[in-house]
Amino acid sequence: MRYILACFFVLFAVCSSFSQDTFTISGTVKDASDGEALIGVNVYAREQKVGVSTNVYGFYSITLPKGTHTLVISYLGYHRVEKVVELNANTPMNLELKEEGNLLDEVIVKAEREDHNVKSVEMSVNKVEMRTIKKMPALLGEIDVIRSIQFLPGVSSVGEGSSGFNVRGGAIDQNLVLLDEAPVYNSSHLMGFFSIFNPDVVKDVKLIKGGIPSVYGGRVSSILDVRMKEGNSKKMEFSGGIGTIFSRLTLEGPIVKEKGSFVVALRRSYIDLLAKPLLKDDLKGVKFYFYDFTAKANYKINDKNTVYLSGYFGRDLFGADFGFDWGNATTTFRWNHVFSNKLFLNTTLFYSNYDYSLDSDLKKENKEDVFRWNSNILNYSIKPDFTWYLNTRNTITFGGQSILYNFNPGSALVVSGGEGKNIGLNSKKALESAVYIGNEQKITDNVTINYGLRYSFYDYFGARLAYIFDETTPPGERKPLLDTVTYAGNQSISRYGYLEPRLAVNISLNRNTSLKIGYNRLAQYIHLLSNTTASSPLDVWTPSSNNIKPQLSDQLAIGVFRNFRDNMYESSVEVYYKTLQNQIDYIRNADLLLNPYVEGDLMYGKGRAYGAEFFVKKNKGSLNGWISYTLSRTERKVNGLNNNEWFLSRIDKMHNLSVVTIYDISKKWNIGATFTFMTGTPASFPTTKYIWQGVAIPHNYSDERNTYRIPASHRLDLSATKKNKHALFGRGESEWVFSVYNVYNRRNPFSVYVRQNPDDPSKTEAVRYSVFASVLPSITYNFKF
Amino acid sequence: MKKLLLLPAAFLFFSCEDVIDLEVKEGRQQLVVDAWLTDEVQEQHVTLTLSQPYFDQSKPQPALGAEVYVIREDSTRFRFTDTDNDGVYTYSPRNRNYLRLNQKVGLYIKYNSEEYYSISELKRVPTIDSLKYQSITLPIKPNDSPQSGFLAQFFATDFEGEGDTYLIRSYKNDVLRTRSGEYTLSYDGGLSPGSGSDGMLFLQPVRMGINTGLFEDRDKITVEMFSIPLDAYYFLYQVQAETNNGGIFATPPANIPSNVFNVNPKSAEKPVGLFLVSRVSRYTAYIDKNNLRPLD
Repeated sequence: MRYILACFFVLFAVCSSFSQDTFTISGTVKDASDGEALIGVNVYAREQKVGVSTNVYGFYSITLPKGTHTLVISYLGYHRVEKVVELNANTPMNLELKEEGNLLDEVIVKAEREDHNVKSVEMSVNKVEMRTIKKMPALLGEIDVIRSIQFLPGVSSVGEGSSGFNVRGGAIDQNLVLLDEAPVYNSSHLMGFFSIFNPDVVKDVKLIKGGIPSVYGGRVSSILDVRMKEGNSKKMEFSGGIGTIFSRLTLEGPIVKEKGSFVVALRRSYIDLLAKPLLKDDLKGVKFYFYDFTAKANYKINDKNTVYLSGYFGRDLFGADFGFDWGNATTTFRWNHVFSNKLFLNTTLFYSNYDYSLDSDLKKENKEDVFRWNSNILNYSIKPDFTWYLNTRNTITFGGQSILYNFNPGSALVVSGGEGKNIGLNSKKALESAVYIGNEQKITDNVTINYGLRYSFYDYFGARLAYIFDETTPPGERKPLLDTVTYAGNQSISRYGYLEPRLAVNISLNRNTSLKIGYNRLAQYIHLLSNTTASSPLDVWTPSSNNIKPQLSDQLAIGVFRNFRDNMYESSVEVYYKTLQNQIDYIRNADLLLNPYVEGDLMYGKGRAYGAEFFVKKNKGSLNGWISYTLSRTERKVNGLNNNEWFLSRIDKMHNLSVVTIYDISKKWNIGATFTFMTGTPASFPTTKYIWQGVAIPHNYSDERNTYRIPASHRLDLSATKKNKHALFGRGESEWVFSVYNVYNRRNPFSVYVRQNPDDPSKTEAVRYSVFASVLPSITYNFKF
Repeated sequence: MKKLLLLPAAFLFFSCEDVIDLEVKEGRQQLVVDAWLTDEVQEQHVTLTLSQPYFDQSKPQPALGAEVYVIREDSTRFRFTDTDNDGVYTYSPRNRNYLRLNQKVGLYIKYNSEEYYSISELKRVPTIDSLKYQSITLPIKPNDSPQSGFLAQFFATDFEGEGDTYLIRSYKNDVLRTRSGEYTLSYDGGLSPGSGSDGMLFLQPVRMGINTGLFEDRDKITVEMFSIPLDAYYFLYQVQAETNNGGIFATPPANIPSNVFNVNPKSAEKPVGLFLVSRVSRYTAYIDKNNLRPLD
């Protein structure tokens, strides 16, 4: 550790020796129309050939020698700004960029184009613009961030309608899904049909699959960083929409003009409201709806301090007499402080909770027989992040994070025949902390590296019992409990700590081409216990313990990035190789819920994933979109499964092709089309059957897993958007969105399984199960005024 | 627990299931032991067959010419014989309790010069105290049952002490419900080991597990509760999982371990199936619409 820190300082010393008579220009870049801070805007000093980009709060800082400079400020979809600056003192410079609007009515300014793809040191990073997501066809017309990122290279899911997403062979719990810095533990409504993010308030979506910088940690596969809008700081705006599933309302506006703004948004499914008058007697009390509420406010205290408060609260409810509900809640408070024009600090405090509960009798009429059960994961965190714009060649990030977790794996009340019992499991507590430092250094004009180190450490503590299992049990069998050890309050049960080196290198091969290399090691201390094809809302998060070791991953990725036709097209080819350690698997008959000895039902193995990702994107013009193709393999090896040999993971998909096209026909109309083709997921089928008490029981003689594949899936979706001049009462603007999901009505298999024919038990058969087995058209109306 | 998810999953109204052709590898034939004995004075069966390719729709081939013995803790042996030459080996106990409570019971099979054994245990079973029913009208008429009818539940209390496992099944007018999902497995009166229901009245979902569709006036309902050893509980639990393992919450298919073993562990001949012994309690009632249990 000390050695590595010493290296850092040597490097800094080398860099600092470059500095001569220099000054710093710093400030924020915002959207001219609504005052939203813009993330990732390029600020480029033409004569010096150096550039920076704005951070997630729109802040930038660039240090240049005394003299005259031309600053080129460019951002995709916005008019480029050029400023000539006579630099002889530190200069604050806040900027506002104007949106390009519909390209048809503009003369395209031919100049330097966005070439972030090639120039930045970032690799394995995909950003999808919200305005692109809004033009893509959506399932039942509901624009969805998580569904949209599944069109990106290296991203897949186990099937339509499943919760979450898989990145480069990672499980869904290996993605750190952040909403304004707070982790979200279940990103789905309705088991996985829709994601919890209200598209009307999402500003920026960034998926990091590799070369993960040291500022991030805690999950081993990817980071999905979702940022919410700050709200229009110039004028009050009311927007909303009515779709097939949700109706949405958003209100945003300034708190104090140019000083602060707010946004509140509510989204609710409304099919139950429509159905209500049609329901009789017994069904009157039926509940089935889901909603989310998102709110955010920011206030600029002065030039040096801005505070943000954001919150999310979402819930799904289903029930008649029986009830089931689940949801996330997050609250984030952030404080941006500019120490000097070179040192920026953001401090985040957040709270995040995911919980679910079940109740056998919502109406509370039957006091004789009751079953009530709830479970949650709750955490609080503090996270200071510093950015130090040392000079034009070095940008240093450093900081830390501490997360205090409280897991309630399940507590329940059981009443039978009037006699009640409180059952359930004791809560589990853990503290996860990290410190990190990283430097993005421009070594020569052609080589930029971003190197960093994160040290994460973890403590699982009491008061609670720790269980000791018989580790000599044959793999694949339930491990019997040998002993329990009592730990007092705050007494440490087990501790772990890992050094996580990170590296990203950009070697510029020519003006339009670069070679990038990324390496990262990541540690993950909390795990989602889930043994079903798609994760269900009942799945419980569990901490690393004396039995469960933290997951670790190492990933190396190499890519070539090239832009064509003056950055009209960007393209990349990346290959990656990832290894995973301490991957959780489950014994047969594993009992994962309300089981105090659940750790005795777990098995541990390793994983590996490798693949190649091809990506071509057209950024400009009335026709744009991308083609992405991934060739990959994901495998697992677990003692006790598949004769202890490597086998295909159930998320493996060999081929994954996506085509996304958006075409702006006129000012009024645009159309979108997406196509996907995916290899079927691996499956296991029996070789033989045997009859036991009339039941045909499937059996695989060689006890092999995942040696088959279900048939491939492919699907075409279309959408068309018609913009109207005005919304209601001749004011504002509005649009109609027509979309068709699964245009050619293909029954794509989610799974194939075998069963005894329900009507003729002497017959056994194979069944293909499709989640969306028909064409699904929909209409959505959106308005804004 | 999977059942809990059915409610919101009903939203999956776009989903569909199609029967398709599937080619699978073939495995080797294995001896299948289907031996579920009770301590009652009635003919007891041990059925021996051979496993067959999964999509082979013919009747299973019987395993003929085997020697079958059931052995008590005190070494008393009961020979089961296949008089009809159909692979069903039978024995008719002369008095009740030829098997003894809380004692181990062995099964010995010699087939094709290979020897197999298994051990089970006769566990206690509570008596079923009563059976009650209430009238109900469903909002939508199901395909195979009337829209209005009766839901029944039985009442019994689990023994004090953890680890009692049971199987409960029902007959409607003397017709047994036979599908794997139609029996209810209970652990200490609850549905699974985590329900913490030891010593309580059987929990409502277990008590009501005897319904499929609705019963009608004058229907005869018979409820049977079997004590089963823990290995049988897990075997049958997995049978329910593996034979209804579709949909978006399917678990990875896995072989169900047998509790019947080859005496020579190195032999390539591995049997499949389950041997268990049970005590039974039964309760029969007739639905009488004039004698309803008041609704809760």
